[in-house]
Amino acid sequence: MKLSIKWLVTILITIFSIYLVFALNDEGPLRILFNLLTFAGIYGLAAIGLNVHFGLTGLLNFGHASFMGVGAYVTLLLIPHAAGREGEITESGLPFLLAVFIGVIAASLFGLLLGLPAIRLRGDYLAIVTIAAAEIFRLLVRDLESITGGVYGIINFSDSLQKYRPIFLENFVSNYELNPSQIWVGLLSWISILFVLLILRRLTNSPWGRALRAVREDEDAVRALGKNAVWLKLQSFMLGAGIAGLAGVFLAFNYGSLQTTTFVPLLTFYVWAIMILGGVGSLSGPIFGSIIFWVIISETDKLASLIFENANGQQLAGVRFVLVGLLIMILMIFRPSGLLGKKEELLLNVK
Amino acid sequence: MIDQLGNGLLLGIIISVASVALSLLYGVTRIVNFAHGEIIALGAIVTLFLSGPVDSKILFLERFSPLGISFAVSAIIGVILCGVFGGLLELLLFRPLRKAEVGNIAVLVVTIGLSIFIRHLYLLFATGRVQNFPLDLERRQTYLFIEMTPRNFKVLIAGLIVMIIIGLFLTFTRIGKAMRAVRDSGELASVSGINSDNIILFTWISSSMLAGLAGIFQAIINDVRYNMGFLILLLIFAGTVLGGIGTSFGAMVGGLLIGIFVQVSVALPFMEGHTEAKNAVALAIMILILLFRPQGIFGQKERIS
Repeated sequence: MKLSIKWLVTILITIFSIYLVFALNDEGPLRILFNLLTFAGIYGLAAIGLNVHFGLTGLLNFGHASFMGVGAYVTLLLIPHAAGREGEITESGLPFLLAVFIGVIAASLFGLLLGLPAIRLRGDYLAIVTIAAAEIFRLLVRDLESITGGVYGIINFSDSLQKYRPIFLENFVSNYELNPSQIWVGLLSWISILFVLLILRRLTNSPWGRALRAVREDEDAVRALGKNAVWLKLQSFMLGAGIAGLAGVFLAFNYGSLQTTTFVPLLTFYVWAIMILGGVGSLSGPIFGSIIFWVIISETDKLASLIFENANGQQLAGVRFVLVGLLIMILMIFRPSGLLGKKEELLLNVK
Repeated sequence: MIDQLGNGLLLGIIISVASVALSLLYGVTRIVNFAHGEIIALGAIVTLFLSGPVDSKILFLERFSPLGISFAVSAIIGVILCGVFGGLLELLLFRPLRKAEVGNIAVLVVTIGLSIFIRHLYLLFATGRVQNFPLDLERRQTYLFIEMTPRNFKVLIAGLIVMIIIGLFLTFTRIGKAMRAVRDSGELASVSGINSDNIILFTWISSSMLAGLAGIFQAIINDVRYNMGFLILLLIFAGTVLGGIGTSFGAMVGGLLIGIFVQVSVALPFMEGHTEAKNAVALAIMILILLFRPQGIFGQKERIS
């Protein structure tokens, strides 16, 4: 990794945003910081998955929320949980790691299922199809109450993960009045990011990764060289969807309950904003993008209180989303490559 | 099933008007406008603010009281303001982007950001609650074999008339022909002396006015909410795709069909107890159409893969 100006600026901005958390919060800055770092880890992981789709392969995926949803729902339904209006309890379940593994595979297969037909479509059509498919997924999950708990969601599943929480975490946490279960989820998500990045770094520098980028640049040339472009795209779709599925699992454990309302299109747009901010096509960009993004998000209540006296929850959410929308627009117009992306590697036009 | 047909026609006419607007814009500018829903909501919100009773505090942080203008005038002003808004969007945002030769995927992402931005401005400054137009309640009556309130029946008729006007406009007027020319080939059109910038501006204005009208229809039939446009945006895409992307006539029929599909699907045997999933039916139809007949019912073949 060469320490170019781009990197320097990115790291400085990241450090500055973390400093802002301490500067703006007199009470319990550490709690706020760890809360937002947990979210940053989870969303960063999802954004890395999306970057495999859009950054590496040029696939315009706007259904990312559904991949996260499939991962979360499949995993949680396989471990002990309570679901639905009556809170029907399922005591038995698979071992935790096996359940997560199946959840991630399920998300990948959903990627394949969605990708098989959709991948033939041109960019803007793919965007519409993926966002529609994600909505179909959400509506079906909400509707199939007997299996998924419907609008009542799934609860009481956290023990499967929390029973593995190491002791040293408790000691560390009790000194600062932090929430140990959240720190554990956050820690795991950041460890996952590390692993995923190591794997992706190897993959993208392999002949496979080069072929993938070649698909993005010129699909016909890839075909002419005898590579199967469609299969390459499908592999990319599955890989990114699997990563998103893992992020979905962490998201569920962070909330402690699973609701269908989590997987609305806005979740996808959050992940898009993070990916664009971090840098499309840059492997580690989403990490920095995610931290900066969540600092902005978690400090919006300060901004909101400037505009509204006693802002209520709805107004806080409103200010946040106004900022997210503005961020997406401004970045896409003035700096589509984000903090760490390369402009020449961006796919901005339908071929 | 007949019960649902009336609801289907009403939803259909909303989607139909909005789909024509979306399709016109896509045809001429090649922009997939995710902020279309927000222009729809604008029409309804402006109309609500203008026509609401003066003593009620419903909009704008409860700081300003509505103006209490008569409903018909409010609706007309609402539609015109939507046109102005669309024109401003073109002049201030999309024309500069076009001149800077920003790619169409980047523009698509910009419209998504714009949509989130505007929608939550409504949430902040207009209305976070579900509101209704200040109109009297009416009893349902039977027209032929379909039951609906007289007001909704008027909406249906008005929608059909608007469709006919658009059809005539595109076919016979000079500017309508120019719009179709730019849609078919921008370069050929400018060679024949058509100023495509003006045509695109005109398209933004007319598309936004139609969207605003669709929003007023939707608010009369249902209600006003800050996210009302986003809620039916995917159905509008479905209508546009079903009829054939870029064809105005197709979008009219496609929108109407999608509305009827959505409402009638509630009455299907396997949908019993699953009314919430009715939108999924329309979206599934759209995906199937894109896969097996991407040119839609009326569109011409075009490379989309």
